Amino acid sequence: MLAQQYAAIKRDLDDKGILFSFSGYLSEGILYSLGEALREKMALEEADGPTIRRVFSVFVEQMQNIIRYSAEKMSGRAGRAVELSAGMVTIGVEDGKVFIVCGNTVRNGDVPRLKQRLDHLKSLDRNGIKSYYREQLREEPDDGSRGATLGLIEIARRASDPIDYDFNAMDADRSFFCLKVRV
Amino acid sequence: MDSLTIPATGRTPGVSFDFAGGHLRMTGESYPDDVAGFFGPVFDALRGYLARPDGGAIRFDMELLYFNSSSAKALMNIFQMLETVAKAGRPVTLTWCVEENDESMRELGEDFAEDLRHVVFRMREIPAGGSP
Repeated sequence: MLAQQYAAIKRDLDDKGILFSFSGYLSEGILYSLGEALREKMALEEADGPTIRRVFSVFVEQMQNIIRYSAEKMSGRAGRAVELSAGMVTIGVEDGKVFIVCGNTVRNGDVPRLKQRLDHLKSLDRNGIKSYYREQLREEPDDGSRGATLGLIEIARRASDPIDYDFNAMDADRSFFCLKVRV
Repeated sequence: MDSLTIPATGRTPGVSFDFAGGHLRMTGESYPDDVAGFFGPVFDALRGYLARPDGGAIRFDMELLYFNSSSAKALMNIFQMLETVAKAGRPVTLTWCVEENDESMRELGEDFAEDLRHVVFRMREIPAGGSP
């Protein structure tokens, strides 16, 4: 029963072309380790340096968005500053393209602003994204954003197709946010 | 203090600022878990050096293979400091190294160069095959 149950989960992931999947508390340490595994996997498959860096770059920005903005987190000092944020990250291959999906809980009050940012990014073409990046590079970060705007632009810039996002309301206070990026 | 040397780690860049020789270099990759904690001392050392009255020419070699968006802000900060002294007449050359097939890094170089009026910006191709 046990093996059957987990084999079913694994088969489901395999069928979706998923190479890595992590759900739970994410940290900078997990970002580093998963990132290394991702690069090693791609290097073994003989992807070239710039392709690996493009995928890696989207992965880092997505992971850091969860670590910084997940509405479900624990922080404190366990000898050093620790920030654990709940979320999930999934990396796979679909129609020959690598995709990265990140999901995390967000507060409903933050949804409109996030939606607006993402829709703006989706409306821009390559050159538009480039000028937006240049503009934001010179901006002081918004209050509380810790540089999120530039991170999202970086993601859109490395993506080969327009970014895909969705929200799923969980309760009166929170929604589950998902961002899918193909590189 | 006539130099600042920070060895590279897996996610923080190697910094070798030779203040006596006016040669500053950053290598490796930059996506620190604590950007402010890493770059704070770098900014302080650079600010101290640039404030000295005996300002000779400065060469800055940007040899990073990868940096994340928070590091991009930090780099922008460094280049703005260089631009300020260049505007005041100090010769500054920034060399942006790019692996020959890395279009993303080339584009980033162009993004940063756009704001530099007084710093001389050069793009230099290096052979591909650095660590991914």
